[in-house]
Order: sequence, then C-alpha cells, then structure tokens
Amino acid sequence: MYRDEVKVGGTLIWYYYVCKREVWLMAHQITPDQDDTNVVLGRFFAEQSYNRNKKEVAFGHMKFDIVKKGKDGLVVGEVKKSSKFRESARMQLAYYLLELHINGIKAKGELLFPREKRKEIIELNEDLIIKLKNAEKEILQIIHSPVPPDAKKINFCNKCAYAELCWA
Amino acid sequence: MKKTIYIFNDGQLKRKGNTLYFETEENSKYLPVEDIGEILVFGEVTLNKKFLEFVSQKEIIIHYFSHYGYYMGSFYPREHLNSGFIILKQAENYLNAEKRIFLARQFVRGAARNIRQVLKYYNNRIGGLTETIENVSELTGMLADCDDVSKLMALEGNIRDYYYKQFDKITNNPDFKFEERTRRPPKNHINTLISFGNSIMYTIVLSEIYKTHLDPRIGYLHTTNFRKFSLNLDIAEIFKPILIDRVIFSLLAKKMITVADFEEFANGIMMKERAKKIFLQELDTKLKTTIKHKSIGRQVSYRRIIRLELYKLEKHLMGEVEYEPFVAQW
Repeated sequence: MYRDEVKVGGTLIWYYYVCKREVWLMAHQITPDQDDTNVVLGRFFAEQSYNRNKKEVAFGHMKFDIVKKGKDGLVVGEVKKSSKFRESARMQLAYYLLELHINGIKAKGELLFPREKRKEIIELNEDLIIKLKNAEKEILQIIHSPVPPDAKKINFCNKCAYAELCWA
Repeated sequence: MKKTIYIFNDGQLKRKGNTLYFETEENSKYLPVEDIGEILVFGEVTLNKKFLEFVSQKEIIIHYFSHYGYYMGSFYPREHLNSGFIILKQAENYLNAEKRIFLARQFVRGAARNIRQVLKYYNNRIGGLTETIENVSELTGMLADCDDVSKLMALEGNIRDYYYKQFDKITNNPDFKFEERTRRPPKNHINTLISFGNSIMYTIVLSEIYKTHLDPRIGYLHTTNFRKFSLNLDIAEIFKPILIDRVIFSLLAKKMITVADFEEFANGIMMKERAKKIFLQELDTKLKTTIKHKSIGRQVSYRRIIRLELYKLEKHLMGEVEYEPFVAQW
C-alpha cells in the first residue's frame, strides 16, 4: 500500500467510528463476507430505496447515494439501514461535504433512514472540520501499519460480516 | 446458506429470463438463481455462453464430473473478490521456502490429527486400534523435523497407510475389503467410495475459496506450478477424514450402499447413480450439521468451518495469527 495511492474516503471514515480494524481490512480490499445476511440486506436496500431520485453519483473518488438540488445549493444524501451508528454516518457525510467544500462546491447533507422514515440534516462547521482532519490522519496511520489492529469484541461484532474472519 | 444443485439427468441448462432452467426430454424445471451457490454436473449437459455469462454474474461455480464419477473440471467465474495484498502475501508464502514448509506441515498435521480423532472414536466403539493411534501420533510428532515438501508428502502417505489398514476393522463388512489404496481407476468398492468422496471434497473447498480473497492456484503442500487448482487440495486434506471417511463408514454401517450399487468398467469399479445420490445426500446432511464455535459464539455448520479455515489462512498470510488447523473434538 503506497501513501499517494490511498484516498481516505467516506467509507473509511464511517468504519473508523465503528471499528478501527475494519478500516485496515477495507483499505486492503479484504471485503467482508458477501453472503452475510446484513450485507445482502444492505445491497437490497440500496437497490430498492429512493428509486425516484438519481442515485450513486460519483464525484472524484466519492460516491453519493443521492444528489439533488436544494433551495440554496446542492444536497447530497446518504442512505443508512438504521440510525444505530448515527455518529459514524454523520461523520461520513460530513467528510463528503468537506471534500465538496475543498472543491468549491457548497452543499448540505441529508442522512436518510428509510426504514425508520427519518432524516437528519448535516452542515459543515469548524468543529467538524477539525474532527475530520484528525480522523483522516489516524486512518492513514492505521492503514499503513503492516498488520491490522487486533480484533476487539464490541457490540457491532454481533452483526458484522467480518466477525467470522476476526474470530475464526 | 445457498444450495448446491446436483444434476444427474441429461439435458440442457439455460438462462430463462432472470433465472435458470433445466430442460430434459421428459420434463423441465426452474432453478431459482439467487438460491444457488454451486452446481455439480454428473449428467450429460449442454449449455451456452448466455448461460455461462449469467452464472458468472451470479457468482455460481459449476463443477463437472465424468460418467465414471471423476472430477473433470470447474467453470470458475471471474474473481469477484480481489485483494492485491492477499495475492502478494499468498505468493510470498509460497516462494519463501521456510514459510511454505510451515503451511504445508500444518496441513499435514491437521490431516493427521483428524485421522487420529476418527481412530479414537472407533477405538472407543470397537477397540483394537490403540497401536495404530500410537503409530499415527508418533509419525505426527516427526512432522516438526520435516523440512521438505516431498518428505512431508511421504510422511502423510505413511500415516494414511496405518489408517487405511484399519478400515476393514472399522467397516467390518467383507464386501468392502480395503486391500490397498487404488485410484484412477479404483479397483474395489471402498476405494471407489473414497475417490468419489475426495473429489467432491475438492470441489466443495474450491467453492468456498471462491468466496474468499484467496487464489486457489497457489497451494503449499500441493505444488502450485503444474495444475490449475491446488490450494483446495491442501485444505481438503484436513477435512477428508472427518467428513468423507465418516460418511463412508456410516453409509456402510447403515447398509445404505451395498455392492449392488457398483458396476465394473474397463479395469475398475464405479458407483451407480443411486449410490452417488445417496452419498451426496449423506454428505450434504453432514455439511449442514452445526457445532457451537467457541470464539465466534455462534452455531456454525461444517461447511462454514471450511470457510473459517480459509479465513484463518488469510489471517496467517496477513501476518496476524499463526495458522493452526481445525481438529475435530469428537
């Protein structure tokens, strides 16, 4: 893995706030078990929800679930299965907003939980930017380590598609 | 868990709309595509590119067997899980002699320990196997000093010789005398069962490898260069005694398969269709049997344990946890 080839990206930000080991695995393209029920469900939801809007819009290395025009500027939406990991989801979306901001694009974020029929608006601010910069730095440290961080049993393990890799 | 489809009839495999369709002269059947993990073909089947494109997209492997029940090959769709990192590590562990011998040794060790477990189980039931168990243990102990893959193979051969010599005692069935290990073609009934079972085992492991980031072409005990797939042969060694041999013993004990289920051909013995079907059904049941996995904390099937073995290998290659083979506890 070479420093200049690595882009942190929103997905890694998401995992960073859930499980640091997952960050390393993802960055090494060691993807989780594709037969896992939650992975299958996630794929299904991504395909079925919000069909009427444009979806999976790529911008640089980012991929947005939804992009639409708001009253004052762009609105990018991120779809999540549940709000259980809201903090992670918030930071992921904030990271997208920061990337857009760096590229001179003014945008707001919408966090969408279709199953809970809920949404949350995210706006970039100074605090978030500092937090994101720190996270980015630490993520780079994690993924340049030769071995992944040790497996630690957390709540998330129950439903994680990496569980069998971690605990085999 | 996705299903394994076994096809014995002759016919045509097709894509029909968004699913699969198998057509024979007598009838035809839809095969719900989302529910299929792999297809094992024993009959005479024709298929076209459209079909292959579709199963490739759905990540379904197709394994072919000849009329005699020999494994012929697989349609292994393009890799869908790619990790350059894992491939490099896999190759590194092959090219470095010390790293390679470590893994090769662990595979033989796993096989030997599971052979020992099977012997111990039958020793409790029928007795008289203590000496063989000791011999196997002694040879297993010698693995540590073995620093050459061909010597490892030879040692494994010796262990299997001791083991196979007890088959007659275990099966206690004069119709299924072991005599000696023969293959291509197997020369008696029990050798035919072993060969058939082993080749199915190789395809099951291959299908599981397909679901990981490992490349089946790079094996450690079985030399990589001269065949298409070899990692599946390595991993299968560990599971053959506890899955295949046990299925054979139970089929014979319950008289589910008898000599009437075989026929002679050229200079060997082959299984009739009924026997193959019964064997596969019994193996399928075994693979679905679950055991409680301590560190994962979930019930896992034997089929899943094969996958876990591959995950353990991935972790070894990543430099995380040294690989220890699975050993059955009973």
